[in-house]
Amino acid sequence: MTLTVALPSKGRMKDDAIATLARAGLTVSAIGNDRSYRGRIDGIDDVEVAFLSASEIARELGAGAVDFGVTGEDLVRESLARADERVEITARLGFGNADVVVAVPDIWKDVDSMADLGDVAADFRSRHGRRLTIATKYWRLTQNFFSTRHGIQLYRIVESLGATEGAPASGAADIIVDITSTGSTLTANHLRVLSDGVILRSEACLVRARKTAHDNDSRVAALIEAVRSAS
Amino acid sequence: MIQLAAPDFSAGLASALEALEAPRVDIPVIQPAEPFLDMAGEDLRRRIFLTESETGESLCLRPEFTIPVCSAHIAQSVATPRRYSYLGQVFRQRREGGNEFYQAGVEDLGEPDEARADARALSEARALIAQFVPGADLSIILGDQSVFEAVVAGLGLPAGWQKRLVHAFGNAQALEAMMARLASPDSAARPDPSVAGFLATEDVAGLEAHIEQVMQETGYSTHASRSPAEIAARLIGKQSLDSTRLSAASLDALKAFLALDVPLDRAASALAGFARDAGLDISGAQQAFKARLDALSERGEDLGAIHWRAAFGRPLDYYTGLVFEVSAGSNNLVLAGGGRYDRMMTLLGAREPIPAVGFSLWLDRIETVRAGK
Repeated sequence: MTLTVALPSKGRMKDDAIATLARAGLTVSAIGNDRSYRGRIDGIDDVEVAFLSASEIARELGAGAVDFGVTGEDLVRESLARADERVEITARLGFGNADVVVAVPDIWKDVDSMADLGDVAADFRSRHGRRLTIATKYWRLTQNFFSTRHGIQLYRIVESLGATEGAPASGAADIIVDITSTGSTLTANHLRVLSDGVILRSEACLVRARKTAHDNDSRVAALIEAVRSAS
Repeated sequence: MIQLAAPDFSAGLASALEALEAPRVDIPVIQPAEPFLDMAGEDLRRRIFLTESETGESLCLRPEFTIPVCSAHIAQSVATPRRYSYLGQVFRQRREGGNEFYQAGVEDLGEPDEARADARALSEARALIAQFVPGADLSIILGDQSVFEAVVAGLGLPAGWQKRLVHAFGNAQALEAMMARLASPDSAARPDPSVAGFLATEDVAGLEAHIEQVMQETGYSTHASRSPAEIAARLIGKQSLDSTRLSAASLDALKAFLALDVPLDRAASALAGFARDAGLDISGAQQAFKARLDALSERGEDLGAIHWRAAFGRPLDYYTGLVFEVSAGSNNLVLAGGGRYDRMMTLLGAREPIPAVGFSLWLDRIETVRAGK
């Protein structure tokens, strides 16, 4: 059986993923020219590399179409319902670090915590004739965090596929749930992360699709072991 | 096997509903999704079947009847009091059971005698279940948010804390977390230095002006979202919220109340005993509670067969008073559920507040219990 390992197809994520595998003694080479979307790992039989976009990798892992993938934990948890039943995070790779956070306009000086935000959300409709709105591309993470973890039900999500941090100032939404690594973009837009507003501390991970065929496959165990020792 | 056709007892149920002075209404299967998401929150999105019209309007397969029945009532602006019944398929993604199943129910809108309307809803739901699941051992529980509201108000907590607790009513986990915080508050987070001066001198006007100025300088609209006045008012109120500590006696009273679980025939005395022990004056709520008990007795309901569970509620902001559930079968399946939702009609756009109470029956579960499973 051919094992498929999906790697990010461009940018820092691609370079860092290949470097991590190289440290693990796994040299990735592209088939054909170096813009190719397929590759192999030298020295291991029957392992194929597919270069995909990071969010596609999460989806393909969920569908079991690839065996391993290097992608951000945020994308795995956002793309897949009940992610832990379908995939396993086998190694954290120490790059691509970013937090998914709840951020409010800094001038909301009365809102430090999710409990404060819960108060504001509960009153929002009667004060403003509409629910509190959250701009985000992280629907699932937002719903889990607000509803399950903090018991906040009364809000609406406004889908945002880019420049989310601008939504509160432009009036497109009241607050945001977005990814941040240094926080400088948030600060520049006069936004502040709530004290308990970190939904997920994400980084690039080696993720395995849970397949029974992996149980007796020595290549699977060897690959995980090699990457773990290198990360 | 998933049952797609209406259960065979639904014809009988339809005529039973007709006999309840509640004309049957037809509700389109395809509904605008907005009202459902707006009322029940974003969490519902995962559980309904959404689609989009060609023009981008968000549509869904009707996940329940109450909201469209109420909306239709408002749109037709007919006089109240008025009662409606429905019977039909609803569509929801469920962990157990099929995603399309049948519900029936009654909505009772605008009846000014709330005790009577409450009793009627519970009584009709109980009688319908008894009729269609004959011989089943029914367990009925009743809760009442307005009693909890009275208790919380009686404890003398700041308005902000009362709101928080009432909002969490029915969500045991959230309530517990709040009570733990009230027992030992965090050392109050120090206010941001930019506003500490205004707070120390209680300079509300200065605080508002400061917030407005910052918003203008940073390009935030002062009216599109929360206004400077709203932020300033909550910031001042919050100083007391953070440092509020509930005395051991009050906390014990709150816990004692939430633990109350007695048959209705002993509920009035249990509530009176609680109020006396806790030293709370909640006589208004006691009277309303008693009026409902009397109305239930008048309808011939066996109060000993219904349980009042003080902590039983639904954490949605349009439920205001009575909630109840009727269950049966070996798995204690909930066959009927209902309650009072006085806040819904104005949220849906009614110009005047309209008291509303209703119940719905889960036909697939009734079928399961009828089949002896």
